[in-house]
Amino acid sequence: MNLKIIWMDFVYSIKGWYRSKGGMFWSLAFPVILILLFGAIFSGIGSSKYTLYVQDKDQTEMSRMFNATLNGTKLFTINVVKADVNASAFIKEKNIKSLIVIPDGFEQTIQESFTNPSARVDLQFYFDPSEQTTTQVIRSVISSILQEMNKNLSHAKTIIGVQEISTITENFNFIDFFLPGMIGFTIMQGAIYGSIERNTKYRKDGILRKLLTTPITRTEWILAKMLFMMFLAALTTALITIIGILVFGMTVNISAWVIIIIIATSFLFSGMGMLIGRFVKEEETADTAAGAISFPMMFLAGTFFPLEQMPGFLQTIAHVLPLYYVNEALRNSMIYLNQNESLLNGVVVIIFAGVFFISGVLLTKWKED
Amino acid sequence: MIEQRFKCPNCEQIASFYGNPGEHLVVTCSACHLKGRLTIPHAEQNNGHAIEVSHLKKIYGDLIAVNDISFSVKNGEVFAFLGPNGAGKTTTVEMIESIRQPTAGSIQLLGKDIKTHFNDVKEKIGILPQEFHSFERLTVRETLVYFSNLFKKKADVDQIIQSLDLTSHKNMLYRNLSGGLKQRVGVAISLVNDPEIIFLDEPTTGLDPKARREVWGVIAGLRKKGKTVFLTTHYMEEAEFLADHIAVIFKGKIIAEGTLEDLIRNYGKSSVMHIKKCVNAPEVIEMLKQEGYDEVSSEGNGDIAIKIDYKERVLDILSHLKHDCIEYESLDIRRSNLEEVFLRLTGSKLTEDAA
Ligand SMILES: Nc1ncnc2c1ncn2[C@@H]1O[C@H](COP(=O)(O)OP(=O)(O)OP(=O)(O)O)[C@@H](O)[C@H]1O
Ligand SMILES: [Mg+2]
Repeated sequence: MNLKIIWMDFVYSIKGWYRSKGGMFWSLAFPVILILLFGAIFSGIGSSKYTLYVQDKDQTEMSRMFNATLNGTKLFTINVVKADVNASAFIKEKNIKSLIVIPDGFEQTIQESFTNPSARVDLQFYFDPSEQTTTQVIRSVISSILQEMNKNLSHAKTIIGVQEISTITENFNFIDFFLPGMIGFTIMQGAIYGSIERNTKYRKDGILRKLLTTPITRTEWILAKMLFMMFLAALTTALITIIGILVFGMTVNISAWVIIIIIATSFLFSGMGMLIGRFVKEEETADTAAGAISFPMMFLAGTFFPLEQMPGFLQTIAHVLPLYYVNEALRNSMIYLNQNESLLNGVVVIIFAGVFFISGVLLTKWKED
Repeated sequence: MIEQRFKCPNCEQIASFYGNPGEHLVVTCSACHLKGRLTIPHAEQNNGHAIEVSHLKKIYGDLIAVNDISFSVKNGEVFAFLGPNGAGKTTTVEMIESIRQPTAGSIQLLGKDIKTHFNDVKEKIGILPQEFHSFERLTVRETLVYFSNLFKKKADVDQIIQSLDLTSHKNMLYRNLSGGLKQRVGVAISLVNDPEIIFLDEPTTGLDPKARREVWGVIAGLRKKGKTVFLTTHYMEEAEFLADHIAVIFKGKIIAEGTLEDLIRNYGKSSVMHIKKCVNAPEVIEMLKQEGYDEVSSEGNGDIAIKIDYKERVLDILSHLKHDCIEYESLDIRRSNLEEVFLRLTGSKLTEDAA
């Protein structure tokens, strides 16, 4: 293997890309515009229906009274959750946005408080930080109810408090969700279309034939191109992340693992592009095919909107889409800091990458018939 | 290094000397100590043949695209592969370039079987694929440097630019070049490794006559430098103008082969003399017929056409005209051309658009 040839090809790829308005637009300007646009559009929007789940673990006079008060506000649709259900698991499974748990011993603690000044009980409020408005409404309603109750019970002391439990880890909003999706999507587009150009246009233009008669090997050629894809991916990631930090004040975690996912993503979609270029020989048709595959994938894989908001069968489809795992892996690692979840999804991405890239390389026709 | 065996002119001792092709050596005979000069020839291992193709065949489904053809190309000659669209030119040339897999047959480049040794000859060949279009957004010079860097052996890029008259365009992006310039750059790319054999697949198709002439100039220049050029074309004039040796390919078969002279002698009509606006043409025709010219015909308007078998007959006719004080406006002799050869061989015209 001749590293000099690989490096040279890489440098010339950058030159060509740098001079191409289209290339620059799709890999840099487009994602930035989308981020700014979507960030602005969706920053203020929340759900208008306030659905609240309540789990009464206490099942006493006191807890029923609290429930009744909550109901009396007429602000919520209240759903009762059985007392023996595990709250966190239930939230995850049913995709619950807000849940209040009245803990066991609620009434007892209140009664104790008459003799024991330090007695205190906390309701648990599970909430989804991406539902900012809903959370805000519920929070203020609960706090005013509790304030009233506390006043009646002890005049000044807080006996009943609230323990807030984010169903994710921090206070996230749409842009937090969207930014990793945009990174995955941009890398996907760049890799698919890049591969297609090489496998269709370069074939038609005789460049592949020409290269076959020069000493550059297939491995050198592929490595050089992958190096370039990773350069683009790194640039995209850096740019989008910087926008997130500077414009939206996000906290973004870039770790070695994130970089591995990004590299795997480049390989994954380069392989997919090779496969498209292998079976659809005309460049324009292949581009159309790429669009027909990548755009639905973008929506279905939860790039722009959380899957939970989609009908069940679409959620099922999402689980066979490579981009879904890229999104989940990046999101969990970069934003939610949920590394276990990221690891799981990332491994799926790596497996997909291996399968697509290897079959792409093997199935590509390098020689002519 | 090439071994060159040499017989001493003095004592007939045979000795081996080593050098690079084209290198001049001063050598001393080991037996009689005679000193002499010796040039290591370019014609190396391959008995003077840069390309040798034998019984080459390519079948696509039930189409025999190339049908058992054999030929060889001598070192340093321009070999034109002439044939109409779909004749099998590209298929043949790309099999020689190892881009396509032959169905049968063997190919040797510079004495090496490409089935097993193609990688060894990559450094020594330069190719221009049909309808080649290079990287859009590299300049002419960058393009040449790019391809040059792929090879170990490098020609001087700036010298190529200069010799192909690309100096004023060297910083233009490839995509902005005219068709003729693109083809010239394509030829330039095929030269970056200073190759011994250059393959040009229809280098002038689609060019206007001026651009075509420019590319011809370049190819003629390569020939002068002693390069072997394998050229495919469907333009008669191109083959006539450039080629030392022409193979006419039709429906996958080589139907005629040789120098231009050979082809015309073997397959063309002989030359025809035209006398324009001859006064009392009928009498002249009668007179020539009596003199033994069989194919004399009137072309109206006092024009006469006479078939000439031997060039001596031209003088003969002229002296008759002079002797009889016959007046005419002009006179010319047209040689039969490849178009006629092709027409005669295949019963069809080579191209509609032959410029
Ligand atoms: N990959 C292929 N599959 C099937 N048939 C092919 C293939 N390549 C060439 N052919 C057929 O083989 C024949 C010879 O084609 P080829 O391209 O060699 O002709 P050519 O002489 O180069 O013509 P042109 O002047 O148009 O370039 C044609 O009939 C063509 O359709
Ligand atoms: Mg052809």
